[in-house]
Amino acid sequence: MNYELRTTNLIISNSPHLKTKMTTPYIMRHVVYALIPAAIASVFFFKYRAIFLILNCVLSSVLTEEVVLRMRKQPSTVKDVSAALTGLLLALILPPSIKWYAASLGSIFAILVGKQIFGGLGVNILNPALIGRAFLMAAYPKMLTTFISPFTIDTISSATPLALRKFSQTITPTIDLFLGNISGSLGETSAICLIIGGLYLLIRKIADWRIPLCVIFTTILISTIFYFINPINGSVFFHLFSGGLLIGVFFMATDPVTTPVTKKGRYIFGVGVAAFIMIIRYFGGLPEGTMYAILFFNALTPLINRYTKPRRFE
Amino acid sequence: MINIEEYKDPQHHIETSKFLNPKKLYLPLSQHTGKPSIACVKRGDMVEEAAQIAESSAFISTNLHAPKKGKILNIDTWFHPNLKKSEAIFMDCLDQESNYQTRGNIESLKKEELIDIIKNNGIVGLGGAAFPTYVKLSPPKEIDTFIINGCECEPYLACDYRLMKENLNEIFIGIEIINKIIQPKKIIFAIEENKRDILEKIKSLMVNKKYNLPSIEIAVLKTAYPQGGEKQLIYATTKRKVAGGKLPFDTGCLVHNVATLFAIYEAIYLNKPLIERLVSFAGDSLVSPKNVWVKIGTTLKEIFDQKILKFKDSPKKIICGGPMMGVSLNKLDYPILKGTGGFLFLNKEISEVEESPCIRCGRCLDSCPMNLMPLEYAKRIKVEEYDRLEEYNINDCMECGCCTYTCPSKIPIVQYIKVGKKYLPTSS
Repeated sequence: MNYELRTTNLIISNSPHLKTKMTTPYIMRHVVYALIPAAIASVFFFKYRAIFLILNCVLSSVLTEEVVLRMRKQPSTVKDVSAALTGLLLALILPPSIKWYAASLGSIFAILVGKQIFGGLGVNILNPALIGRAFLMAAYPKMLTTFISPFTIDTISSATPLALRKFSQTITPTIDLFLGNISGSLGETSAICLIIGGLYLLIRKIADWRIPLCVIFTTILISTIFYFINPINGSVFFHLFSGGLLIGVFFMATDPVTTPVTKKGRYIFGVGVAAFIMIIRYFGGLPEGTMYAILFFNALTPLINRYTKPRRFE
Repeated sequence: MINIEEYKDPQHHIETSKFLNPKKLYLPLSQHTGKPSIACVKRGDMVEEAAQIAESSAFISTNLHAPKKGKILNIDTWFHPNLKKSEAIFMDCLDQESNYQTRGNIESLKKEELIDIIKNNGIVGLGGAAFPTYVKLSPPKEIDTFIINGCECEPYLACDYRLMKENLNEIFIGIEIINKIIQPKKIIFAIEENKRDILEKIKSLMVNKKYNLPSIEIAVLKTAYPQGGEKQLIYATTKRKVAGGKLPFDTGCLVHNVATLFAIYEAIYLNKPLIERLVSFAGDSLVSPKNVWVKIGTTLKEIFDQKILKFKDSPKKIICGGPMMGVSLNKLDYPILKGTGGFLFLNKEISEVEESPCIRCGRCLDSCPMNLMPLEYAKRIKVEEYDRLEEYNINDCMECGCCTYTCPSKIPIVQYIKVGKKYLPTSS
């Protein structure tokens, strides 16, 4: 059959005419996929609490974003999955025993102050999920530092491995840290699940490898030195697998919006975050410092970008 | 640099065909980089094939010749793929073949005479920019490295590959001529990995020692876009960098496309000016994509009217050039120019995803072959902030399109950059 050309149907646009199939929703969706192992582990360890907490945070986040966008008279962005991702991430870094209203409030704060106040997707300076958690840390410090053991229904508090190290000089066995059979935030307990998710992100080229690798190597370096100074400081694996380090490294420190765009900047960011985490863990008043380390370097990101402009081709 | 799907099938392995009998020709006076040529014929004149019909008007300009024997119909404005409209010579052609005789005593031609022949025959770079070739052959600085560009890194286009496959002998004669003119210390033949069969052919030609050439180094480069860009090619083969605002000769390099070398061979040996070229016609809207020898000035309309090409479906986009740097067209009246490497007729591959906010993922930075920060341009130009663009070296951008290709937010970065370049504050 012979087709006649209808010139009125022709699209006129600027070059290039080919574009990658990767889109922003695609990236966000795959980060959610990468979090599925950790989410499943959380349900395995913390049962219905995990399901409720995840649903609560995701729904609160998406709803907040919708309401704010209506008020700002902007088109809905539910489809770009970013609000749902923020909710999911927040749920995974909260203690399983947190009260429902606190979790909702944290999600609302994360979207409202962490993201929409700056103008929405792409222009926020700090990681919204971490902002939500930092807010709850200030609003409900008791709730945010009370953790329960896995497989328990009652709220019998149990210290996290990092708190045990800091306050009672007890080191948790590495295998428990690796599998996740420890008390801690909902999705950060199982190292293996987070590593699987992280590798997925790196292999699918959703996230850049520079930041995660720099954080991990720097952590290994620092913790080795401190382990040799005194074994009670915790081994390399203890520091890699405990607390929020892995979820922070793979899912927060790779958030494109709040981390440097330049390659050099990403190396600086990675090394800096790891150094800060270790400083807080060894010398700070808190047992864990991933959240503050990442937030601090989020704030430094515009500056890092400015001073790490790529070298001109000459 | 980016890795893109090549889309070179099937035009890659289909033998070239010819369409050299157009009825009408539209020959824009501006087919090259530089000043437009000046017509030296008038309405009603009868011209022979290869007769000069317009002459060079400046140092960077070139001559234009009649692709067929015929009558000059008019000199008026006509559609031009890059300029939208420009002054052109309209011709009515006679269906007559012309024969070209081999020029005698080529061996005795001197360097200056060779350059003159190339200049008079209107040879320009056929890789796309159509820069007058003779200018490149008389550089103000000594050239020590001559690089032959056989990369053809734009997806879909396959005319350079087909030319190398079918006319490598003539290309080698072209290399011989350039070698005689500039006498470089080193000659490098650069091709991409995806053209391995050409590599073998080059090797066997070199073993023969049929040509009066020093040994040629073959550089097999990884298949990436824009590997065939002049600056990228020089860097990949010699590790020399042509900085923003500088020209290749500043680093002692000269780059010629294989199709230009073929045209040089024709000019020197047959005294045939640049009046026809090999063009790729490709894309999923064509029944049979192929590479065709066509006369300069032939319109797409005529090619379809003569059933040289047929549509399989109605294309969403018609592109003059490659998909990365080509221009989209709104009708078939556009003529083929000296620098036109291909026309694409795309339907399925065109997806218009709406622009969304930049998420600062940095993919544009990672892909930029000139080490720029494309997202900065988009961000600033969007809010009409033009004053700090030069700090970010906006003029180094060659608009290759890598950033826009990789952008997950589908921001038309190249388009913003083009706007930004126009509004730069005039600095002293």
